[in-house]
Amino acid sequence: MESSTKITLVELDQETRENQLDRAKAWFDNLLLTQSSCRKLVEDTVEKIEEPHIKQYLAEMALQEQEHEEKARELFKIIGREPSDMRQLLGQIAGKARQALGDFIAVSGSAKGPWQDLHQVYLSNFNSMGAFAVAEQLGLALGIPAIVDTVFPVIAEKSTSQLLLQECVLEMCSKSILYHEPF
Amino acid sequence: MATDYASLRKNTGFSISKSTLKNGTASGSILQNLPTPARPVINASDVVVPEGYTVEPVMVGLSFPTDVSFAPDGTIFVSEGGSSWPTRPYMPARILVRKPSGETEAITMNVQAGPRSVTWHNGDLYFTLKGGYHMQVVRYSLETGEMKILIDALPSGGWHEPGGPVFGPDGLMYFGNGSVTQQGVALPAGFTVDLAKHPNAHDVPGQDVTLTGNNVRSRDPRMPYPYMVESGAFKPFGTPAKKGEVVKGELFCNSAVWRSRPDGTDVELLAWGIRNPFGMAINDDGELYVTDNDFEEKGERAIANDPDRIWHIKKAREPFGSVKTPDWYGFPDICGDGLPVNHPSHLPSRGKAAELLIENPPKWAGPAAFLEKPHSCMCKMDFCRSDAFGYKGELFVAEWGTLAPLNSPRPEDLDHGFRVIRVDVNKGTAEPFLHNKTMGPASSVGGGGIERPVSCKFGPDGSLYVLDFGVAKVTPGNMLAFAHTGVLWKVTRK
Repeated sequence: MESSTKITLVELDQETRENQLDRAKAWFDNLLLTQSSCRKLVEDTVEKIEEPHIKQYLAEMALQEQEHEEKARELFKIIGREPSDMRQLLGQIAGKARQALGDFIAVSGSAKGPWQDLHQVYLSNFNSMGAFAVAEQLGLALGIPAIVDTVFPVIAEKSTSQLLLQECVLEMCSKSILYHEPF
Repeated sequence: MATDYASLRKNTGFSISKSTLKNGTASGSILQNLPTPARPVINASDVVVPEGYTVEPVMVGLSFPTDVSFAPDGTIFVSEGGSSWPTRPYMPARILVRKPSGETEAITMNVQAGPRSVTWHNGDLYFTLKGGYHMQVVRYSLETGEMKILIDALPSGGWHEPGGPVFGPDGLMYFGNGSVTQQGVALPAGFTVDLAKHPNAHDVPGQDVTLTGNNVRSRDPRMPYPYMVESGAFKPFGTPAKKGEVVKGELFCNSAVWRSRPDGTDVELLAWGIRNPFGMAINDDGELYVTDNDFEEKGERAIANDPDRIWHIKKAREPFGSVKTPDWYGFPDICGDGLPVNHPSHLPSRGKAAELLIENPPKWAGPAAFLEKPHSCMCKMDFCRSDAFGYKGELFVAEWGTLAPLNSPRPEDLDHGFRVIRVDVNKGTAEPFLHNKTMGPASSVGGGGIERPVSCKFGPDGSLYVLDFGVAKVTPGNMLAFAHTGVLWKVTRK
């Protein structure tokens, strides 16, 4: 039906839309950096832990982290943009830097063994989960359900991992700090 | 800076200014291929109205709009954004202004929850805002750009919405404030609305009430170990009530309706016990009606089959300043049909059944002027004052639509609402006026028709404007709403 009234299109003109998609892309680059850092940290921490159950938890988490990184890459396709590979590389470097930070914190806090790495995984997963959660909100704000559908399962898995990591970090801290023993 | 909690929780106002609005104009072809995949098509021919009426979109791409109003010259004002339904994501809280020329601008406000209404009155805009522990009624001068907070003491910070303001033939301002709690007791469901931001929010009665001491047990999601806690009526979450305890009624309560002078002075409490008085309308005879939404069938105080309703606020007919005792309309213990929440007809099929919270309650002020199917979610409304449009004297009501299966397990609740109805308040009957070909939102039933009507008001041109909130997707576990999917529709008699 042809309208007789001039229709106002609020913030859906091409220029505004493209600007907002570019800004979303910049966040997705950050998300990819954060997630690459988290994935690298989890993968390296698996190798440092001997306790079989925690090692298994982290090994399974490492598999999930690879899938989460793929999901992060899919976000760019949804908005017709390409990811910055440099950001991903930076993410992996950041993962290594976090391990060094963990070592420093461990020394100053009297912790010993791989606990400090586990603690950094705990913080890194939280950081990455938050970055995905922000992407979900951007999907809602842009009216793009595919973004929401892509990241919601990731956030749910990371939220589940966060509880697990919290339990492991809190359970093992006494062994690390008071007994100075690895696990 | 204040260092005590009472001072910190007092609203301190906010900045407001005008800005340009980034927009364009649309033709029919653009509306068939919008850049928002959540709502890619707007098509008025998919909207059903009675023979002799036409529908057309006027504004497209709105973000969580809540209300519409008009200046006599035809300027349109739409309140939108903030942190609304659900609370994430925040979109800019503002009033969009569309002048008769088509030129637009935005009145932007730096406030979190944002405007829930807009009313043009005597050259000024009045609006209500949520956010923080108090609901506010605000006046904004279109001429000078000055803003004044008229009312800032109404306890809020939870689930339900401000109502009005509307202005009566008596020149007085009428406004409402919904309950903090969803089910009569602060509970952890949907914690982003209340507990996360306002853990100390609670309902406040409009009269002294004696409590039964029936507390509700739930887990406390705020705790490192989410253990069980007990919560009582008119208490913050996790605070139990004692049997026989008296909670003092206050002028500035919630679940209530007031009137005052237009400058916010001489506030008079007319009614309380109204869960969510979001929609308010006064007819030419000065009779005040408010919408109210039903209890939900879920969680730790679940209540089934509670009808949506429109209340007639009879105290509004009494002389200004003469109301000594407000009327009580039932919240948190009486359903819209006048039966208690623990009546067999209201026992839930899921969740824990409700117990009564108030001992020896005040006299119930019902029955309702109109009862609607549960979860229709009646919102803002307006009386038709025009012979030219037809149905003069009838009340046109926007129905946002159900949140089932999130808030009800009943299959029959899945398509309630998603339409505009016209209500004969004298007979207590209604007829559908505007809806899709298949009942339900376009995003579910297909086509480019309506999603969720949130307000409907008659413009100075005699047309009915229907404000469509946009796409809100509901699952058994959550609700997600997509910005830039709201539409203002215009219905004209040929």
